[in-house]
Amino acid sequence: MECKLIRPADLDEALAAREEYTDDGLPIAGGQSLLVMMRNRLVSPGALIDLEPVEALRGIEVQSTGLSIGAMNTCRQLIASPVLREEVGVLTAAARQVSSTAVRNLGTIGGNVCHNEPGADLPPVLLALNGQAVLRRRTHGREVPLDAFFTGYFETALEPDEILCRIDIEHPPANAAGVYLKHAISPEDLAIVGVAAVVVPDAQRPGAVAEARIGIGGAAPVPLRATRTEAALKGAVLDEKTARAAGEMASTEVDPGSDPHASAGYRRRMVTVFVRRALMQAAGRIEENGHGAA
Amino acid sequence: MALLDLKVNGQEVRVEAPDTALLLDVLRERLFLTGAKRGCETSHCGCCTVRVDGMAVHGCVVLAARCQGKEITTVEGCGDGMELDRLQRLFLEHGAVQCGYCGPGMLMAAKALLERNPRPTLDEVKKGLDGNLCRCTGYTPIFDAILAYSRGE
Repeated sequence: MECKLIRPADLDEALAAREEYTDDGLPIAGGQSLLVMMRNRLVSPGALIDLEPVEALRGIEVQSTGLSIGAMNTCRQLIASPVLREEVGVLTAAARQVSSTAVRNLGTIGGNVCHNEPGADLPPVLLALNGQAVLRRRTHGREVPLDAFFTGYFETALEPDEILCRIDIEHPPANAAGVYLKHAISPEDLAIVGVAAVVVPDAQRPGAVAEARIGIGGAAPVPLRATRTEAALKGAVLDEKTARAAGEMASTEVDPGSDPHASAGYRRRMVTVFVRRALMQAAGRIEENGHGAA
Repeated sequence: MALLDLKVNGQEVRVEAPDTALLLDVLRERLFLTGAKRGCETSHCGCCTVRVDGMAVHGCVVLAARCQGKEITTVEGCGDGMELDRLQRLFLEHGAVQCGYCGPGMLMAAKALLERNPRPTLDEVKKGLDGNLCRCTGYTPIFDAILAYSRGE
């Protein structure tokens, strides 16, 4: 059966199409994963709803509470954005590490998040930035924190009549330091593990952590926050010993699988290593600058 | 089926294709521009790299319908059909082409890179070609040809 292409003029038309084709329609963002899945017959939609013409899904808005990133921003656009580089350089750094140049030219933040492929680079960072998914259906909208949005292996909380419109992230505290480390055999691969750390130093106690947020990808069916490790880091002085213990603890919070790229045990071990490294790099940046920049 | 109005290598063409036809299929099978090669078809190898509005993209993961109103450039758009252009000549001189299968994609990725960054470092060249695999040359002659181009050779 031939797949139809629907090119809505605006968000209302896109949402109407989404409602009409709840059974067998799929929205297409950059297409860099979806068209491969269609080619491999993993999905066979009857209709594609093209989100490219939808203006409401574009742009990066600076709001009082944070940044609102349109779902159709490509990695290329994320990398080029001065406001992201200034405010959340860790997201810029992760966007640079997504796949290859050609894929970054078309692949979008919204597609990356909705595809929810283990080892994707953006989700761990967006989790560590307390990201929220802004979803709309024809009649109303809702916001879902990303840690609740990623529900399973290649699965999300997005309902069949919804569209992910934006990802909202908080302004990180001005003195926070953000780091994303990707462990892969070749840089354009998916991460075997990807670790994002956003560390907010305690302004009163030099070296101490006011808040640490750790996002981990590739080491469980879903990208996740290492919440127990984060709790243990709160108030601690961030030195090599603390970072090492945090890495060990984080490795007990993940649930890795084995695949041809890496065994479960190896992934778990790499979580230990990369959480430690990410924390030490964040600590180094805080010390260097007097303050970091997420 | 849909009627698509495309601009390929400066020429306006109208072509009939399935709604969700891929750019690579339209180029190769409807317009008989077989320069862009069919490789992995899963956006890994880069043999199908063409340029859309100057950007390097993998033709196997682009909807042709989305390219309407944009400038599509394939390797057939290099030189004038009789004479090779300077980058193609340098690829030849440096032995950057062995079996030749990756060549058109390499050229298009390199052109996109050189347009945005006319004097790339070796690392920047490698990064610019990170979506293109070559199984013959070991890459070095390809990098050499691109760096020679940037030096004005």
